[in-house]
Amino acid sequence: MTARQRRHGWIQALRRLVQIGTVCLVVGLALASLYAHYRAARALDEMRAVEGPVGSGLRVVDRLVSGLDDPRAFLDGFKGSLWSMRLAGWDVTDPLAALEVIATSKVLHPPLLLAAAVPVLLALLLGRVFCSWVCPGYLLFEAGGKLRRLLRWVELPPAEVRFSYRNKYLFLAVGLVVAAITARPLFALIYPPAVVSRLVHAWVFGTALTGMLVVLGLILAFEVFVSPRWFCRSLCPGGALLGVLGRGRPVRVRLEPHRCTHCRRCEPVCEQGLNPVTESSGMECDNCGRCVRACPEDALAYRVGIQRMRASDGPGRAGSLAAALFWGALALAVLAPTPARAHHILGLPHYSYKENYPQVPTLEYPASAGPYDVLLTSYPGKPPPGEPANLAFYIKNRATGEPYGQPVTVRVLQTFTFGRNRELQPPIRIEPFDRVHKLTVTFDREGEYVVELAMEVEGRSEVIPFRMVVGDPSSAASVLAAVGGGLAVFLIGVRAVRIKRRRRQAQEAGA
Amino acid sequence: MERRQFLKNALSVLVPGVGVTWLSLRPGSPRAARAAWVRPPGALLEAEFLARCIRCQRCADACPNRAIVALGVSAGGGMEGTPAIQPRRQACMLCNRVKGQYLRCTEACPSGALQPVRKDPEEIQQKVAMGKAVLDKGLCYSYNSWTCGACYRACPFPGRAMTLGLWERPEVKAEGCVGCGACERACIRYPQAIRVRPRAA
Repeated sequence: MTARQRRHGWIQALRRLVQIGTVCLVVGLALASLYAHYRAARALDEMRAVEGPVGSGLRVVDRLVSGLDDPRAFLDGFKGSLWSMRLAGWDVTDPLAALEVIATSKVLHPPLLLAAAVPVLLALLLGRVFCSWVCPGYLLFEAGGKLRRLLRWVELPPAEVRFSYRNKYLFLAVGLVVAAITARPLFALIYPPAVVSRLVHAWVFGTALTGMLVVLGLILAFEVFVSPRWFCRSLCPGGALLGVLGRGRPVRVRLEPHRCTHCRRCEPVCEQGLNPVTESSGMECDNCGRCVRACPEDALAYRVGIQRMRASDGPGRAGSLAAALFWGALALAVLAPTPARAHHILGLPHYSYKENYPQVPTLEYPASAGPYDVLLTSYPGKPPPGEPANLAFYIKNRATGEPYGQPVTVRVLQTFTFGRNRELQPPIRIEPFDRVHKLTVTFDREGEYVVELAMEVEGRSEVIPFRMVVGDPSSAASVLAAVGGGLAVFLIGVRAVRIKRRRRQAQEAGA
Repeated sequence: MERRQFLKNALSVLVPGVGVTWLSLRPGSPRAARAAWVRPPGALLEAEFLARCIRCQRCADACPNRAIVALGVSAGGGMEGTPAIQPRRQACMLCNRVKGQYLRCTEACPSGALQPVRKDPEEIQQKVAMGKAVLDKGLCYSYNSWTCGACYRACPFPGRAMTLGLWERPEVKAEGCVGCGACERACIRYPQAIRVRPRAA
């Protein structure tokens, strides 16, 4: 191992540190925001009672900033996530976000352009370093690559389907046009830094984890089982944008041809699946530097200098095509007319009073029966087991506004995905009190319940079911997923053992 | 072979592309489809707002009252990550007694989806239109033989957005109401008799 290789070993360690540090930064920024909330509400005592990793994180932030003169002002300088953040008072926004918003809104917002300037400058100078040094998605998918190695080790080699590098430029271009036409940003739904940022935010703030976890999971599964590093190489719109920007970057990995012995040790380490000997100066290279470290002859190195791209610098023609596609799409996106009021085209009707007003802690469930509007409210909306929940039925004649005066009958059932429903208590008859039918129910177990309201409407009996969730029951789907995952791991293990045994038998037979 | 390559690559772009487009345009549950949301102060009109918002949630971070929360996937197509205020949980306090020249969420917005609003009663009256409070007199205690007046006490624009009659009977004056939801938050009736109806798109 040469001295240079050792030095580049340290650089790779530094890269890993930066990646992990970025994840910590995203978590830390979310924690700092939450801490600022507690501080603004003068609720630091309440905060100290928060348990779990979020609670410890909050206490760490507290210890760090409580000695400052004005912690609030300091914390104001650090806000946001990788999609858009304020760092030491300076706004930084992902160029992809800025570009997409230009396409969807057709407005150039100067502060946004200024905020995107820093990452753009970074990409112009250093190329796609955001990908290889910062992006948490890259870190996750690198781990996916390690999983592939594990699969190979148990002799279940995963498929190796390769996709064209050009796909991502197409995805970026078409995505921009689609976003411009529908006037809704798309990339935030799939771009890993944005997705991870939102997930971290949801986790820290205790809001529902968004379904975005599924998106990340699908990409990871596809990479592990079908195509190595597919997303970064062939689909990532952010990588495509940074690649286009970094085409003329002065800092590149370059080869000194007379030193290269064609040992090909640099090829398997490249995260982008390139051949560093021929393609390291092209726009697909993200300057991660793994090939520099792998080279025993010091033939590959970071070099600084302006250089025209040659056709031999990898997918050069693809690059020109990509650049043309990109600028064309951007022009089209900015020029394409946006249909005004896109949501009307989608047929979303107007809001109407009391039908679905979104409420978190109090559950509101609207229904109708004949001439009546029925509104179930529950406080708390997601009652914990063993604690009383106040249910109220507000039944009102839609036309006259008169409340429903007769008594109603209510049944409470626990429902199960598999098995029969369980009746929590015998049906109760409720007289209206002050225009509202009220009932207090204590749900004894976690799970899914149905509150059945039976009432007389125009001489007929109507039954309206309201679904309620008590506590945090693991849904049938998550149980199935866990069982399926366990089964898959078991099968892989069994198969691996069998293959090993067969090999050994074959060897013994041969000997 | 060439054709197969082409098809494979086309599929690998189309499938995620269509998936993402569907995610952003799908109608969602019937309840979600009917929903309108109370957006933070200074928000552009809904269609423009959805085009302009980059879903970074920095307004939610900036809110000193934790009134702004990001919507989840269940809110329907294109709503994921957009900010909304749910007054019953936590109302907008228009950055009352908070340092700074501007309403903090409007200052934090990097993309201009929330236009900056100075913390001046006249400017707030002029620029903020999150929704309008609507009173259900059938439920309101003051109209039903009890006197209450909790909503009026909570209103940041008493007399201008809301007046109080005999027996503490509130009347909403729509022209002065900015839709902060303090009345809804304060209402002691359950289900609450006064609510903010989000601004029509």
